[in-house]
Amino acid sequence: MEKIVAGIDIGNSTTEVCIAEIDAAGNLHFKSSSGVSTTGTKGTLENIKGIKEALNLGLGKIGKSIQEVSRIYLNEAAPVIGDTAMETITETIITDSTMIGHDPSTPSGEGLGIGETLWITKLDTAAYDKDYIVMIPTEIDYIEAAKLINESKKHITGAIVQNDEAVLIQNRINRSMPIVDEVKFIERIPEGMPAAIEVAGTGRSVQSLSNPYSIANLFKLTHEETRRIIPIAKSLIGTRSAVVVRTPNGEVKEKMLPAGKLRIESENGPCHEVAIDQGADKIMAELSKTPNILNVEGDNGSNIGNMISRMKQDLYKRSLSAMDQIRIKDLLAVDVLVPIDVKGALAGEVSQEKAVAVAAMVKAERLPMELLAQAVYEALGIPAEVAGVEAVMASLGALTTRGSTLPLAILDLGGGSTDAALLQNDGTAQAVHLAGAGRFITMLINTQLNLNNLSLAEDIKRYPLAKVESLFYIRLETGEVKFFKEPLSPKVFGKVVVCKEKELIPIETKHRLEKIAMIRKSAKKDVFVQNALRALRQVAKDHDIRTISNVVLVGGSALDFEIPHMILEELSYYNIVVGKGEVRGTEGPRNAVATGLILSKVGSVW
Amino acid sequence: MDEKLIESIVREILVHTSLHTSSNNPKPLSSAFMDPKEVGIGIGAAYGIKIHYTISGLSVDKVLQEIMAGIEEEGMIPKVYRITRTSDVSFMGNDAAKLVGSGIGIGLQSKGTAVIHQKDLYPLTNLELFPQAPLLTLETYRKIGKNAAKYAKGEQVMPIPIQNDPLCRPKFQVKAALMHTIETELVVDRGEPELVNTKG
Repeated sequence: MEKIVAGIDIGNSTTEVCIAEIDAAGNLHFKSSSGVSTTGTKGTLENIKGIKEALNLGLGKIGKSIQEVSRIYLNEAAPVIGDTAMETITETIITDSTMIGHDPSTPSGEGLGIGETLWITKLDTAAYDKDYIVMIPTEIDYIEAAKLINESKKHITGAIVQNDEAVLIQNRINRSMPIVDEVKFIERIPEGMPAAIEVAGTGRSVQSLSNPYSIANLFKLTHEETRRIIPIAKSLIGTRSAVVVRTPNGEVKEKMLPAGKLRIESENGPCHEVAIDQGADKIMAELSKTPNILNVEGDNGSNIGNMISRMKQDLYKRSLSAMDQIRIKDLLAVDVLVPIDVKGALAGEVSQEKAVAVAAMVKAERLPMELLAQAVYEALGIPAEVAGVEAVMASLGALTTRGSTLPLAILDLGGGSTDAALLQNDGTAQAVHLAGAGRFITMLINTQLNLNNLSLAEDIKRYPLAKVESLFYIRLETGEVKFFKEPLSPKVFGKVVVCKEKELIPIETKHRLEKIAMIRKSAKKDVFVQNALRALRQVAKDHDIRTISNVVLVGGSALDFEIPHMILEELSYYNIVVGKGEVRGTEGPRNAVATGLILSKVGSVW
Repeated sequence: MDEKLIESIVREILVHTSLHTSSNNPKPLSSAFMDPKEVGIGIGAAYGIKIHYTISGLSVDKVLQEIMAGIEEEGMIPKVYRITRTSDVSFMGNDAAKLVGSGIGIGLQSKGTAVIHQKDLYPLTNLELFPQAPLLTLETYRKIGKNAAKYAKGEQVMPIPIQNDPLCRPKFQVKAALMHTIETELVVDRGEPELVNTKG
């Protein structure tokens, strides 16, 4: 006679079930497992729908029904939720139209031109002994502009064009000069001011106007004035074309925005304050100095403050804890660059502004899991109990990975949090929950690429990239070429795509493949490699990672195609065996908690 | 009539048809080097001959000039062919794509409907289609030329946003049908594409 038992792990994003048969002698046979999306927020009564679905799916595989299950074990979910926010800390402002540093896709000509700004319509009244840079507004089309330039005997050294017509004009004029186009707000450029215009050759970037001393030389600046134009030179680095106009009061400023402060309260000891605008490294250093974080607070009215109070509200609604018991236990900060429109720009320039992205973890006393177990009993008619703490259960399940041994550390790379647990020979276990995991990576990708599309960001995170070079082949990011017998969909022609299992999803941005791949990799590294080290350090004896001999990676993000490798590379310095879990030899890094739940109860079923 | 005469007539006909079937699938006029900088524009049989204004009243010369300017601004070379074997915009675009080294072509009907095509695509698919000609402006035609050139260069292309007006179809249905009929009447069975001289 055997009893069928089920272990159920309700996670932030998936509900996993493990089904086993146990006979009277205590022999255990794993029969089946399944996983579905979690319905509702974890720890709430809405989960029952997902539980039922997962049970039916798992039992269906072995031809059993829910009535035959004699017991259900639920995990004691860690009462933590994670959330993310971002705060921009710099801003670039151009005053008085001093520069146009944008990258029109097609400037023309090559070299440097210096002269006084002049509207093209006033060419015939201009002086003969001066150099001019002509400004061509929308009303003058390329044919007329070329005609005016060709007929003029004046000395023209360059042109600034409002329309996207630089090549068209260049092809029709009888001299060669640098031309910069797509200057949207050309009417804001003052007339009669000294200006310099530079267009670099194909594949190069401007050399003179990105060098402060060159600008000083061109405009005969004093030492004091040269100091002031450094932001201009800096913002022109890497662009293919540039215009600098010297105006009496013009300036480019990189302004630090007032960002909030974080107050870190520790259990015993003083409370630390750190300003967000000091950057991620400083915040993380401050956090690691504080051993037992009691709570983290943000300034009222700042982005970070709003984010923290929003997260607390959220958890308050879910848990039975009182509002003042809800505390921020951990925080992960990452420096990012986000593309933001420059204020006062003439051509819609975008500048890469510094920002700090933050993931935080809120902890309550306890999630109402007992209530959920009661509700499961009422809904399904099967006795259900809360069997054990999630992290310990995950360690038990992970221990079924062949080649692992005690003491064993696990890293649970989830969607909402990174958890670590260390299971000792004597069965004692220690666990930590850290902020920042899969969803934080998605957010980092979304903001840094300016996608405004979370599901696309999610796909970029999970799958490799490729460039569609023809309708019959794509070049993968590894450099390999993959051929197709049937022509690909015209929708992906010429685009950078995400290679999902069966389809190619186009990424419709101006970003090159290399840049997208770089942002994806650095986001994963910033979050999971950093968190792996932080988490292991916290659970390890004397906070020394070297005392840990083997680490098993479990959880959804352990399925990622590069995260496990990144962690392996990093931890190999510490001489640790680390790899993706093979739970029960069949489940890969999934189902560890559900398996652990059953393992922990083998003896008490009969 | 004797058998010999019949035989010679049959042979004559066979020779003619075999000659003509080769033009069913347009081959480049020169089998030698094809410039990868060339982007094809396939215009309709009546374009600028019987029809001088598109359905929205734009001069066909202006429209063609804008598309060519768009291609030129991107550093590519426009090449205009008159497609005489069909009046279907998709086939026109596909034919034009097959005639140039870049493999990218634009189909342009006299009434103004346009499509960006690629030589390896099935004729009735496309890279970008601009079906509602009454809503197209000269700026859009410039962008069509630019985008086609970008496809030819293998750059990341952002599709051109197009307007959609559900009332467009009933409002212009009769005019569109008449213009299309004029164009179709000029279609020549198995007609070869003709290179159009656009200078001057």
